[in-house]
Amino acid sequence: MYQVLMFDGGVYKINEFYELIEDIGGFVIQKTTIQVQILVTFAIPEEDRGIIEKKTRELGGKLIDVPLAGSEIVVVGPTLGRHHMPHPICDIAESLRRYGAITVVMGLARGRGKQTAQISAEEKAIIEEYDAAVFVVGNFRSCVEKYKYKLWEDIQIPVVATCGPEIEHLPACEAQVCGIGRKVERMRRPEEIQKLEEVSSKVIQIVLARRRDVDSDPLFVHPAEIKDRLDGLEAIQGSLRPAPVVLHVDGVRAKVPYDKYKDAIAALEIYGRRLGEIADITPSRMEGSVLIKIKSRSQVEEEDAAKAKGSK
Amino acid sequence: MEMITEGTDQYAQDSYAKLFEQILLEMGITNVLEKVRILIRADDPLFVVSVKMRKAAGAKPIYDVAQLDDKEGGVMVSITDEGYAPRLLALLWKTFGRDRVEQLTRFEIYIAGATRMDLWEMRISPEEELKAQVLDAIWKLVPEGLKIRHTFSSPDVMTIANTEHGFQPNWLADAEKLHHEMEAD
Repeated sequence: MYQVLMFDGGVYKINEFYELIEDIGGFVIQKTTIQVQILVTFAIPEEDRGIIEKKTRELGGKLIDVPLAGSEIVVVGPTLGRHHMPHPICDIAESLRRYGAITVVMGLARGRGKQTAQISAEEKAIIEEYDAAVFVVGNFRSCVEKYKYKLWEDIQIPVVATCGPEIEHLPACEAQVCGIGRKVERMRRPEEIQKLEEVSSKVIQIVLARRRDVDSDPLFVHPAEIKDRLDGLEAIQGSLRPAPVVLHVDGVRAKVPYDKYKDAIAALEIYGRRLGEIADITPSRMEGSVLIKIKSRSQVEEEDAAKAKGSK
Repeated sequence: MEMITEGTDQYAQDSYAKLFEQILLEMGITNVLEKVRILIRADDPLFVVSVKMRKAAGAKPIYDVAQLDDKEGGVMVSITDEGYAPRLLALLWKTFGRDRVEQLTRFEIYIAGATRMDLWEMRISPEEELKAQVLDAIWKLVPEGLKIRHTFSSPDVMTIANTEHGFQPNWLADAEKLHHEMEAD
């Protein structure tokens, strides 16, 4: 299995580091250069971690575990109004990014209020494109207990719910963190940072559980391998977006228009097969993006067997 | 500033008291208010905020914020403290009428048919602006979903009652009672 790590060091001899990653069959996921400092997120075969650790020491850098690297998390607030943004929603998103996640912040159109709070089918579909969702609701106990949970009860991806009052059990979520609620300033006090850590740790548990689920019926290829092929596309190379290809636990989001590039993406070759055969390629609800969900090995074998049977 | 909260949800009372303090602190108007009462009944839902303003001190004479020069047929007002410009202009419009007040540039205002002695006694009161700032703080505090509002206002007390769908008669009576109690304090 692949392991995603982050290298934090200088640019000196960094090309040797990239070559080593390539030699052991790994992939660079993201590079961020800040003057002479460089942050490299990369995926390598688990068993080769020792080689990378040795090279990191040689280059004077450090290796950081980023358990959420390779996942995209959505943080959802009741609205985009000043009552809910930027705190605490953006604080939670920032905390998740420190663990390597790509985050998206989303405000619902009609999520405010008690009985009037609602989520549309379109909003649910958008949220379900991500690996996990964090819902951030407010300070009224009766409102959270009786009404607000309805916002996430039909969501088909794992949900972490956060609210203000201490509530023993919130329905329909995989994890909950109480004691956050509404904020009008940055979460920077020790007890608030502790709460952000708590949210991150719940999300990490959820993402790891999803990865274990996926490992029980392994994907045909690791998402990082698809990213590696997609990076060769002219449209991706010319993209001005900061992360044109985003890894998911079971696939990839490519930020190029579906109609224009679906055929080119489907025709990419991986281990002698077309990407279109080993993954489901669909348009994303987020305009200008393509979702690629990788099929499991067993699913591909099953489809191959069915095809062979059909051709006989 | 004295802050009193009451209602049915202790967590909400404590957290909203803290939120309001932080909002006022951030806006730099903590010392403008003498007393605040917040009534929260989340089950109804009813959210009432009542604030009692301190007497606004420090009305500024116009010559402290602008230079006054007599010109032919009128007076030229050159603003020296831009922070007071909107209130000064509003005061001049109110006193002399829009026809006679001409804003030549960002900092220069010409008033036809007046002399600097006509303006000498004029003072700019910060009260209106402070009220607007306090109201802004209240709108920041009130939960976004509670869109149905009713206000009670007297010279130094403002009370705003908020709910989601519509007020029951006794809710407004409770809000009005709270308003009168604040006035009597």
